[in-house]
Amino acid sequence: MIETRPGFPGARRALGVRGPFRGPLLLLIPSIAVLVLLFIVPIAYVLVLSVTDPRLALAHYQRIFTVPVYTRVLVNTFLTSLVVTAVCLVLGYPVAYVMARRGGWVGTVLLTIVAMSFWTGFLVRTYAWLVILGSKGPVVTAYQALGLGPAPRLLFTTFSSTLGMTHILLPYMILALYAVMKKIDANHLKAAASLGARPLAAFREVFLPLSLPGVVNGSLLVFVTCLGFFVTPVLLGTPRDMMISQLINQQIEELLAWGFASAVAVVLLAATGLVIAVYNRFAGLDRLWG
Amino acid sequence: MLPLIFAFLAALFLVAPILIVIPMSFSTAISFQFPPPAYWLGYYRTFFTSEEWLEPTLNSVIIAFGAMVFTMLLVVPAAFGYVRYRFRGKSLVNLLIMSPLIVPHVVSALAYYGFLGRAKLTGTYLGVIVAHGVLAVPVAFLVISATLKGFDRNLERAAMSAGAGPFRTFFHVTLPVLRPGMLVGALFAFLSSFNEAVVALFIAGRGATTLPKKMYESIRLESDPVIAVVSTLLVSAVVLGVLVSVLMRRRPIDAA
Repeated sequence: MIETRPGFPGARRALGVRGPFRGPLLLLIPSIAVLVLLFIVPIAYVLVLSVTDPRLALAHYQRIFTVPVYTRVLVNTFLTSLVVTAVCLVLGYPVAYVMARRGGWVGTVLLTIVAMSFWTGFLVRTYAWLVILGSKGPVVTAYQALGLGPAPRLLFTTFSSTLGMTHILLPYMILALYAVMKKIDANHLKAAASLGARPLAAFREVFLPLSLPGVVNGSLLVFVTCLGFFVTPVLLGTPRDMMISQLINQQIEELLAWGFASAVAVVLLAATGLVIAVYNRFAGLDRLWG
Repeated sequence: MLPLIFAFLAALFLVAPILIVIPMSFSTAISFQFPPPAYWLGYYRTFFTSEEWLEPTLNSVIIAFGAMVFTMLLVVPAAFGYVRYRFRGKSLVNLLIMSPLIVPHVVSALAYYGFLGRAKLTGTYLGVIVAHGVLAVPVAFLVISATLKGFDRNLERAAMSAGAGPFRTFFHVTLPVLRPGMLVGALFAFLSSFNEAVVALFIAGRGATTLPKKMYESIRLESDPVIAVVSTLLVSAVVLGVLVSVLMRRRPIDAA
């Protein structure tokens, strides 16, 4: 904001305001002020701490990128997020496709299921996986009933935490895909068919390209959320596969290492920001919020 | 046919694990055992009589309600200002409003832990309400600004030309038309706080422990079987809400 004194006569022109001048400012000022003071300032404080605590230096960042324990956390977080995103895409695409192309009870049932899992809290779903994969859970019981001998350890592995995160983020992927797919005009596919395209060719040449914005949106959403995932990897995973957010928590909870924790947080924030900036460059952020 | 089968398998993968919490809540087992050895209602009694679980539940409701009110007080005027006016720096304002959605929750959690700690507000309702309220701003803003964009301003012009003043027009025309969207926005803000775990873990302390925080600690430290009861109650509430919205023929999450 260039000029916020309401009486300033040139302000209206300076701000390019149309309509009654005080309108947008008076309406927006409370939320702008709150977001700056109660969100941007605390985040900025993290940024400051990362280079000043305990003294002014970039040493924390140097440690993050050179000490193998920490670089492993970065690489692991990145790879896990990639895997989760890919699996969500593979599982989610057909669901969104059927939801968008079929009305009637099929679409309603699928939408109901997706909505239900979307709104069920992370902790409920994480707990459910603890039961399913646990040593007294249905998978192990079935394994033993079939006489396959001692079951492999499922819980607290890379597998269980990846599975849990995929399960939690899948509805986000489906909804992002569905939002784009339901706007695809069915006449395009009819036109392709009337021109002699077989269903598979029509899908590949027409539907798939038109659904790509949904693929990008969903992947971005899932990838970025996964980068900062905390609860599920802690409860389902192993300390060996530590994610960035666990590292932040560990540094604060166990070591009270404010400076280092802040630096790790800044790295996570920067990575997220980078992904979003790339998206913004090619697609424009407005499309993400739809 | 193949996509259909695949879609239903994926849907099964989504829903089946969630439903497992229901039989678990009636189980007599002390540990996470499935299928349950026997059934009873004992852990329901434990939930409804123990301070240890009722307090976080009540805290969550209070905090989510407070956060919802705080969010709506900010977002409703902001959505009007944003949608109805053009001004310089609009995309920057949009980015600012959306920033709590972009910043990973664990980063916000760390930031609030430091910031609210300095203000001696960690472990208080006020602290958690402020943090959750800010974090819910983007979701509520998306819903309400979308509703506002779809509002036909001719309705207002008609009211004004029929002699209604701006206030009368607002309260008798604009607000009633926008009410459903506002309610959805408020509900999303409420749920955003009610389900939020990471920030609560960092800042809620003992004084304002929320239900997700209590569930996290219960899983991590003691594997208390009451968690199955809590999960079942939460799942039931979600199922009820989604079914009602489907039956009312409003698509449940389109605005998300």
